[in-house]
Amino acid sequence: MISGNATESGGPAVRIENLDKYYGSFHALRKVNLSVERGERIVICGPSGSGKSTMIRCINRLEQHNGGRITVLGTELNDDVGNIDEIRREVGMVFQHFNLFPHMTVLENCMIAPMIVRKRPRTEAEATARRYLEKVRIPEQAMKFPGQLSGGQQQRVAIARALCMQPQIMLFDEPTSALDPEMIAEVLDVMVTLASEGMTMICVTHEMGFARRVADRVIFMDGGEIVEEAPPEEFFTSCRNERTRQFLSQVLGH
Amino acid sequence: MVSLLRNQKARNVLLQVLYVGSLAALVLAGVMIARRNLAEQGITSGFDFLYKSTGWDVNFSLLPATANDPYWWFFLIGIINTLFLGSVGLILATVVGTIVGLARTSSNELARLLGRTYVDIFRNIPLILQVFFWYAIITHLPTPRAAHEAWGMLLTSRGLYVPAPNVGGVAMALAILTVIAAVVLPVWLGRTSRLSQPIGKRLAIQLAGMAAALACAVLVLLVARLPDAPLLDFPALQGLNLKGGLRIPPEFSALAIAIAIYGGSYIAEIVRGGFKAIGKGQVEAALSMGLSPWRVFTLVKLPLALRAMLPILANQYVWLIKATTMGIAVGFTDFFMVVALTINHSGQTLEAIGILMAGFLTINLSLAAVFNRINKAIALKGNQLRG
Amino acid sequence: MEMVIVAPPAPGRLEDLRRRFFATPLQALLSLASLAIMVFLAWNLLNWAIFSAVFTTSGGPEACQAAAGACWSVIAARWRIILFGLYPFEEQWRSALACVTVVVMTVLSCIPAFWTGRRIALVWGAGAVLYYVLMKGGVLGLTYVGEEAWGGLALTLFIFVTSCLIGFPLAICLALMRRSELPWISRTTGIIIDGVRSLPLISILFTFAIVLPFALPQWLAGDKLYRVILGSALFFSAYQAEIVRGGMQGVPNGQAEAAMALGMSYWQRISRILLPQAMRNALPATINQFVISFKETSLVVIVGFFEILASGNAAYGTGEWRFAYIEVYAFIAFIYFVFVFSLSRYGAFLERRMSVGER
Ligand SMILES: Nc1ncnc2c1ncn2[C@@H]1O[C@H](COP(=O)(O)OP(=O)(O)OP(=O)(O)O)[C@@H](O)[C@H]1O
Ligand SMILES: [Mg+2]
Repeated sequence: MISGNATESGGPAVRIENLDKYYGSFHALRKVNLSVERGERIVICGPSGSGKSTMIRCINRLEQHNGGRITVLGTELNDDVGNIDEIRREVGMVFQHFNLFPHMTVLENCMIAPMIVRKRPRTEAEATARRYLEKVRIPEQAMKFPGQLSGGQQQRVAIARALCMQPQIMLFDEPTSALDPEMIAEVLDVMVTLASEGMTMICVTHEMGFARRVADRVIFMDGGEIVEEAPPEEFFTSCRNERTRQFLSQVLGH
Repeated sequence: MVSLLRNQKARNVLLQVLYVGSLAALVLAGVMIARRNLAEQGITSGFDFLYKSTGWDVNFSLLPATANDPYWWFFLIGIINTLFLGSVGLILATVVGTIVGLARTSSNELARLLGRTYVDIFRNIPLILQVFFWYAIITHLPTPRAAHEAWGMLLTSRGLYVPAPNVGGVAMALAILTVIAAVVLPVWLGRTSRLSQPIGKRLAIQLAGMAAALACAVLVLLVARLPDAPLLDFPALQGLNLKGGLRIPPEFSALAIAIAIYGGSYIAEIVRGGFKAIGKGQVEAALSMGLSPWRVFTLVKLPLALRAMLPILANQYVWLIKATTMGIAVGFTDFFMVVALTINHSGQTLEAIGILMAGFLTINLSLAAVFNRINKAIALKGNQLRG
Repeated sequence: MEMVIVAPPAPGRLEDLRRRFFATPLQALLSLASLAIMVFLAWNLLNWAIFSAVFTTSGGPEACQAAAGACWSVIAARWRIILFGLYPFEEQWRSALACVTVVVMTVLSCIPAFWTGRRIALVWGAGAVLYYVLMKGGVLGLTYVGEEAWGGLALTLFIFVTSCLIGFPLAICLALMRRSELPWISRTTGIIIDGVRSLPLISILFTFAIVLPFALPQWLAGDKLYRVILGSALFFSAYQAEIVRGGMQGVPNGQAEAAMALGMSYWQRISRILLPQAMRNALPATINQFVISFKETSLVVIVGFFEILASGNAAYGTGEWRFAYIEVYAFIAFIYFVFVFSLSRYGAFLERRMSVGER
């Protein structure tokens, strides 16, 4: 495992206790509890609007929670600005719509954060960037702009960009759902490789094949709550909850 | 303390308090220093001065004004002058802009070239330079004794003299109002809510409304005409001076001409933009229904273009009204010049600046409100026709 | 039977002309009327400006006044006062050089290679310093010339450049504050921006030039020139702030989120991610705003500066050239036209290029 800097070793990677989140008066997350061990791979699924995105966005404080505790790598996520910065440095995120910076080349996209956030020298940042671009299998696109790439290529750049910060945890928010079917595979391949190297991953995805292959645990959310939580074999064969069964039959049905 | 600074919420509160607080302190300090400085010069703050007489005169006014009138009366005169010049400039600019804009969108290459030349020249020369230019031209016209005469009007360096009806001020204002009504009434009578009625009937109603309003205007003038005088008073030379008729001072004409020409070049671009925004499909659909080009223009192109133009036009009108403040460059007593003169003569600096800001804020907000109403009234219902 | 394929006859020149200008009676009328207006105006203008005009100063004002056409000798006799105002005669080359500096600076900032925050700031900062040193002197063996002696085109350009130089960063700050999540900051800034925008520029210039000294302690009041520049910078920034804000609204939210997720601080997000994209979106409107504020710089004549309009008034206002006002105004109008027209053409070109290049 690639280790970053000063965060406490030992203890879970992410611990969420009694998490509450409101959008105005709308209760988006209701007393959610979840603990993710280091090196563990979690897949979260659930119907639209169930609060999956909201939950993982709370982990790096893209959303501010209203109640409960979130502890990431031993650091509690609260109003302390220093903690927020520290956690964001150690947590990478990949978005549904890539969110690459369109005014920078692929290489610059990958270099900027290590250079200005981690203060790495340019040569080192470039070497790291090229290494990760190789890893996501698009080293030849380094000098292009995001607008000149296909969706699948863009998403792989986004993964490389997040990895260049050498995070300890990776969050994925539906990384393949904006892609055409033939591009989904290339992105999933990269994610499988990443998983095999021991990265702590929390993925929101409806790719059940991926869940079967790499997940240590699958979590089903509905109505802002975690309804079901089980290892994949158990989750797909013998889930207890009616809503989960309904959802699975829909997702696996076609 | 350090931990407090690291706290996001505390930081946010601190930032806001600092920002608003320092701004407020800045303004307060400025006002206090100004009050002290003014007090040293023997000027007491407060709005009492509004009731004192000014001791100076204005050179253009629609209302009676003498040096004995109080300040508030002069502020009123200033605002009315600004609005008057503004609306005259605005109407002229709209006429010029519509003509040039239509030329720019016409299918005729020569007309397009002519329109484009106009816009390119007059848009790119500052308004104030144009004001100076026209003012110089007018003040270099011949003296009253050697005046040019055309259709009963006299062009002189002291201004433009036009024939005026021999009626009292109130009647005149009434007549002007009814003429405005004659223009507005047909538009109001032709609202889309009456679209269900046959077009011939609608047209008849509109024409009747207009005729009635015009008749009222004529009636007012005839009834209120001064006894023992011809209905129209022509300007004529008497001794060294011109007597009779209505004098439009050079300051006013220079500003009105400059605003009309400069504003016209901007409005022309807005008009062109409005017509460009019309979907090709709608025009083609209308043509395919066998409507004549004129009907296509009045029934399809014009209404759609107007809707596209109106918001931008509103901004332009606000700009034009503000541009009347250039009056001070040639000595036209608009609202701003009254404020400047007040500061010069009475020293009531803070109060006068406050009145200036309040005045322009009111003008802007009311204009915006009027245009929002119009915009809402004519906006396409639903969203099926956008794009 | 024989099939004969007849190619449609290529339209002759005359036919082409007929179709373009005389297709219908109405079109014909329109064409003829436009042509008549154009010929009439062009002939009269050319006749006045060139054929019957006097170009030399040899005959003096009298010969000039007698001529039917324009009297360009007034420009030949008075161009120095129009361009340089009351700047000392022997030092006027410095004023000219300063004007050239501004032109070079403007041209440089129109080249895409200079469109990074640092380079643009460098060009404008260096240009303004060079301008200031050239005009004011007192160093490098240049004799000292105080601001009160600056005038003409050079002063107009100085006021314009410094207003933009101060107003642009201010506009970005205002735009950022108006977009702030902190309600009190965004609301207060909104009131400032809307308030300034609803006032006429002249009233702001007047307030800064004449009223502000009352409200400032003596040591802070400074020179009137710099107060007026501050006023016009404030006015510029209020308008430009709305343009920048529009550009920021065109940047998707995901950009800031991605930057946050990478651990970038607020300032890093703003300077590296948000602003570069927002400025690109706002470029055409920004150039338009520059054009407008260049034209509005001329208003400082009202608060008593000897810029190009006032020096023009002085050029014909005194002595023997009183009759030649049209020529002087035409000359100044021409100078403005050259600057404004080229800048607005450039803006239109950019707009077209960007709408084509959009992906
Ligand atoms: N910024 C917001 N303001 C108000 N409500 C929001 C906001 N973001 C999300 N919500 C609401 O919170 C609920 C959970 O949203 P969330 O995005 O977490 O769902 P999701 O499970 O990710 O759904 P999807 O599969 O469609 O992405 C939804 O009902 C949504 O409408
Ligand atoms: Mg989601």
